[in-house]
Amino acid sequence: MSGIDELIQRQKLLVAIGPGGVGKTTVSAAIALRAAQLGLRTLVLTIDPAKRLADALGLTHLDDRIREVPVEDLGAEHGVEIPGTLHAAMFDNAASMDSLMARVAPDEETRDKVLRNRVYRAMAGTLSRSHAYLAMERLYEVMSSGEYDLVILDTPPARNALDILDAPSRLATFLDEGVVKWFVGQGKGKGRSGGWRARLMASSGAAATKLFQVIVGKDLADETIAFFEAFYGMREGFRERASAIQSILRAEDTSFALVSSADATHMMDAQALAQGVRSRGVDIDVVIYNRSYERLAHDAPLAIITDPGKLDRAAALERMFHGELDHLDREQIRDLLEGLRVVRTEAANANHRALEAVRKLGSDLPESALQLIIARLDGDIRDLPGLLALGPYLAETRRI
Amino acid sequence: MGWVTQASVTVTATSPALLDRRLLMFTGKGGVGKTTVVAATAVEAARRGRRPLIVELGHRASMEGLFANRSIAYEPSQVTDGVWAMNLDFESALADYFEQHIPVKRVARTIMRNKTLQKFFQAAPSVAEVATLNKLSALEAEREGGKPRWDPILVDLDATGHALMLLNVPEVMTGLIGDGPMRRLIDGFSSLLADPRRTVLSLVTLPRELPAQETFELYQKLREHHKVALGALFINQVPERPLTPGQAGLLDRVQSRAKRANIGPLVDEVTLARRAMRYQANARAQINRLRRAITMPIVELPLITSRELDPEAIASLGRSAIEQLEDRSAEDANTSHARRMRR
Ligand SMILES: Nc1ncnc2c1ncn2[C@@H]1O[C@H](COP(=O)(O)OP(=O)(O)OP(=O)(O)O)[C@@H](O)[C@H]1O
Ligand SMILES: Nc1ncnc2c1ncn2[C@@H]1O[C@H](COP(=O)(O)OP(=O)(O)OP(=O)(O)O)[C@@H](O)[C@H]1O
Ligand SMILES: [Mg+2]
Ligand SMILES: [Mg+2]
Repeated sequence: MSGIDELIQRQKLLVAIGPGGVGKTTVSAAIALRAAQLGLRTLVLTIDPAKRLADALGLTHLDDRIREVPVEDLGAEHGVEIPGTLHAAMFDNAASMDSLMARVAPDEETRDKVLRNRVYRAMAGTLSRSHAYLAMERLYEVMSSGEYDLVILDTPPARNALDILDAPSRLATFLDEGVVKWFVGQGKGKGRSGGWRARLMASSGAAATKLFQVIVGKDLADETIAFFEAFYGMREGFRERASAIQSILRAEDTSFALVSSADATHMMDAQALAQGVRSRGVDIDVVIYNRSYERLAHDAPLAIITDPGKLDRAAALERMFHGELDHLDREQIRDLLEGLRVVRTEAANANHRALEAVRKLGSDLPESALQLIIARLDGDIRDLPGLLALGPYLAETRRI
Repeated sequence: MGWVTQASVTVTATSPALLDRRLLMFTGKGGVGKTTVVAATAVEAARRGRRPLIVELGHRASMEGLFANRSIAYEPSQVTDGVWAMNLDFESALADYFEQHIPVKRVARTIMRNKTLQKFFQAAPSVAEVATLNKLSALEAEREGGKPRWDPILVDLDATGHALMLLNVPEVMTGLIGDGPMRRLIDGFSSLLADPRRTVLSLVTLPRELPAQETFELYQKLREHHKVALGALFINQVPERPLTPGQAGLLDRVQSRAKRANIGPLVDEVTLARRAMRYQANARAQINRLRRAITMPIVELPLITSRELDPEAIASLGRSAIEQLEDRSAEDANTSHARRMRR
């Protein structure tokens, strides 16, 4: 078996979701590099990479342009061939929100109205909820360009990573549904359209507006309503995009990768995410447990050893020193050997707990889901060789 | 990027002890241990005869998991001896808010039952934050027999973004709101959040490069842009030394002998121990960086490896945390005492 290799050669889009800090960004970049190694034209869309990793990917500028990551040296220095290409880009929230508005607005007047609106400004600056939507927007663009064989989408460190699936349609329905209609177009002449329904809408809309004014004050209410009004004019644009994005996310050649660690809380979040994704009709095709075990045998880094084993320490001491130690020395060495035993036992126990946790989550996943486990590596992963080092773990299928 | 080294340490002479504040807010990156630290601090407060209330924002199973799965709802309930907890969910907070501010209760309730309207309020800027702050200040103001009902209130703020959003409410709203009841309400929050005798924000982090870096950046942002007083910095999951310095000094010798005698498992153990020592040294380095750059009282909490985080472990973490803070204030008192003596 080939771990993730078969999957990434087959798929066009891989969406990495998972709890905060587990290594989504790192693993996304490592998979992208692996794909380039397999000869694919690859793009990784990352969010908020650690500074050093951003540098390594050439993302030192704060814009969201796509850049090609130079990988030739890596190939030469580490004896690997990289026949494909690696591209990377990162998101910039506020800027892309503005440009999104500009793209979707039917005309300049609407665009300016939105961009100048103080409520919009307050929202664009502080609301992280728009992040998922923006990611989807960007994705839509690059997927339609046809320039990449594989796109890997890193996602924000959110337990609401489900926003990725919900955001596009939520925004569209939000605009579509009664709610915005309630607030827009009031006072622009009564009874424009007849019927009890419209009248009811108008009166409850008026009530809603009044209520809103009571709560937040008139100024803010008016401005919010103005914002929704302008927004409402964009609903066609939003709806089209939303359905295009939804079909990309649910396409056959899209896979969701759940990244987690074997740590208890991460597992809880991961489980909730997996369930949430499934309830939206999308399967998790691969789970990657990152930084999840300690390597105990240096010649078998891929082995997950859970048994501390039995080493006869007294015999080992004899074999090493053949009685050449004086009493004090011998006591100290024996003490060290005991310390080492504790270190090994703790590591093996931790591995055991990790595997238990992995099995538990695994039993909740579809049979076909691929499970990959990555060891805790030394130090942070901050450069291309570091990403390369994750390759063997990604390419190894495990029986758990 | 750069870590600024604070040259002078300013210790506010009369800063009250952490537990003596009314509203203790805790924040930090995902998974660093906020919930654990909040629970531990609350348990210790209860042990000292106080009546702590834990406030969770948004429902998570993790707090319940720490208290034998006692369910936690909007209405405060006792989750273990002397510790109370509630879940401050947005819908209920908003309902409370409406009840307070809409004269006709029936209208308020009808509106709250409307799904579409709910969605609207969720999307509208700052409504969730205003409703949350409204509830927090109500809890703070609750009195029983002339004394505060909750002593103290510990708020488990989900993530840093969440915390900053709450703190930003007064500012964001300032430009948007004219005079009126809302204005007064927001002003009330501002003064509660900015009052160092009542409110402090504590930070939780891990002794690893990335969380430490983010904590430092957050700290700077808080100092520069926010009036909220800072409480303690909890560095959680500090690993123990895997070997004593004496043991470590013999590693080279044992390693070469084990290689020569061809005892594979022992060679591996040495590698493993070296790696564990590197983790620990790195953790130490991050702690030192934090200590140099951040002038908040710092608490180090050990990484617990041997067992589950059971109630006993939680209680001991809380005890250790508060005792470390007391040691520190004792030290401060001593130094200022010494200074006075010198004069
Ligand atoms: N297998 C590993 N071994 C050791 N360190 C790792 C491993 N994987 C990731 N790291 C380190 O863990 C840290 C967090 O990784 P990363 O930024 O990729 O997480 P993330 O899930 O994207 O975080 P966020 O949720 O904040 O976006 C980084 O410092 C990274 O170098
Ligand atoms: N000192 C410690 N030693 C060992 N494990 C710990 C320690 N503190 C916390 N943990 C474990 O780490 C995990 C995360 O802790 P916790 O849930 O408190 O973090 P959190 O910051 O509240 O997370 P979230 O951001 O997801 O709310 C839990 O599994 C917890 O049991
Ligand atoms: Mg990330
Ligand atoms: Mg928590």
